[in-house]
Amino acid sequence: MKSFDQEGVTSLILKSGVVVSLFLILFGTILIFTVRHADHLTLSQIADIYSTTIINSSQIGLGDLLSGSLSLDGIYLISLGLWVLIFTPISVVFVGLIDFELQKNYRYVIMSLIVLFNLFFAMLVIG
Amino acid sequence: MLTEIQALLEFIYIVVAGIFAGLLGAMTGLGGGTVLVPVLTIFFQIPLIFAIGASLISTIATSAGSASAYTKQKIANVKIGIGLEMSTTAGAIVGTLTLAYFNGHDLLWAIYVLFGVVLLFSLIPSVKKTLAELPPPTEGDWTTRIFQLHGSYYDQRMKKTVEYNGVRWWAGEIVMFFAGFISGLLGIGSGALKVLGMDWAMNLPMKVTTTTSNFMIGITAATGSSIYWHLGYIQPFIAAATAIGVLIGAFLGAKLLIRITNSNIRWLFFSILSFLGVEMILEGLKADSLVSIPSVVMILISMSASVLVIVLLFIYVRKLRKDIIRRTRSEEQ
Repeated sequence: MKSFDQEGVTSLILKSGVVVSLFLILFGTILIFTVRHADHLTLSQIADIYSTTIINSSQIGLGDLLSGSLSLDGIYLISLGLWVLIFTPISVVFVGLIDFELQKNYRYVIMSLIVLFNLFFAMLVIG
Repeated sequence: MLTEIQALLEFIYIVVAGIFAGLLGAMTGLGGGTVLVPVLTIFFQIPLIFAIGASLISTIATSAGSASAYTKQKIANVKIGIGLEMSTTAGAIVGTLTLAYFNGHDLLWAIYVLFGVVLLFSLIPSVKKTLAELPPPTEGDWTTRIFQLHGSYYDQRMKKTVEYNGVRWWAGEIVMFFAGFISGLLGIGSGALKVLGMDWAMNLPMKVTTTTSNFMIGITAATGSSIYWHLGYIQPFIAAATAIGVLIGAFLGAKLLIRITNSNIRWLFFSILSFLGVEMILEGLKADSLVSIPSVVMILISMSASVLVIVLLFIYVRKLRKDIIRRTRSEEQ
């Protein structure tokens, strides 16, 4: 039975996902405070935590995450960091899927696929 | 308009709140979100929807952080976790959409009340967890075989390999659907409910239960967070501060947890949580103008109610401990 160190790989992915996302979030935050504006908003608008309309995630298009981050926009860097965080546990399910496939454990292959379906349904269809 | 210094201070305050939440969450095993939502709404007056959004996404960070350690030690059962995730992710979708409905129909006060109730009830499995008892060994049932619920791990404290058979997989799936639902509805990891599903329904050892639930929380929260994103429930400034704070807090909490030998100190944390739970219920009732009470009276009510909750929990744990001792003695005889 072919297999690999699933627990080791999972642990590594989880750890590196958190580190990368934290780095992006920190970098984005520092940029917002030094440049004092991001995504056409001033620092005081971004920091307005009481208004639900000035800035919220529905205004940040996922398609612009990469280009916004590359142009060193703080809001997009933070958003990219948050999405890396969201994808971190998802990639663990992928690793599980590969491991179950290698072990020919088809019952669990199907179950992993159902979990991934739910995740992408939430991400793409409902979104 | 906020000056730069004010904005920076605001950010730092939220990070500190996140550290407090992460610390308390790790010490009590409830996760950062359960503490973060009340703190952000009651003390910072942040809109509930943003508090919930920031909390859920921060939950992924703590879950991933601690799960990376547990999976490496091979205590968490990834297979059982993924199998149960079918229900939690589905539950999270339904929960998030229910939250959107409540938000769209001016029913957010009910979320406050529900949050308080869930927080108070979560304390029961959490205090029980401190006893860390092994479940009675079972032969397993038909689901053990079909869903491969057999496993083992090395227990460092007992210095032996513990073998276990999970049972009633279907019951676990049902509880997990509700765990996912609550997670999506309230923006918390709902680790307490997940523990309930694996400990009570599936008869898994507490160590396997808590570590597997920790790993699962991230996947459930990822489902909810991605819908929250599209609904606009995540404010990047708040989410950035809480993610950083909660992660630092959870890290410190995990380190501190090893050093704390006196388990009684945990009661202090449980009492803070029960205070927050009662405060949330009152906050919800106040928001719907069902009751109108001055803040000082509200705090006094919350304090006395939390004392009552703690006394009841303490009596419950003492009874549980006595039962365990009696059972162990009769087994020895």
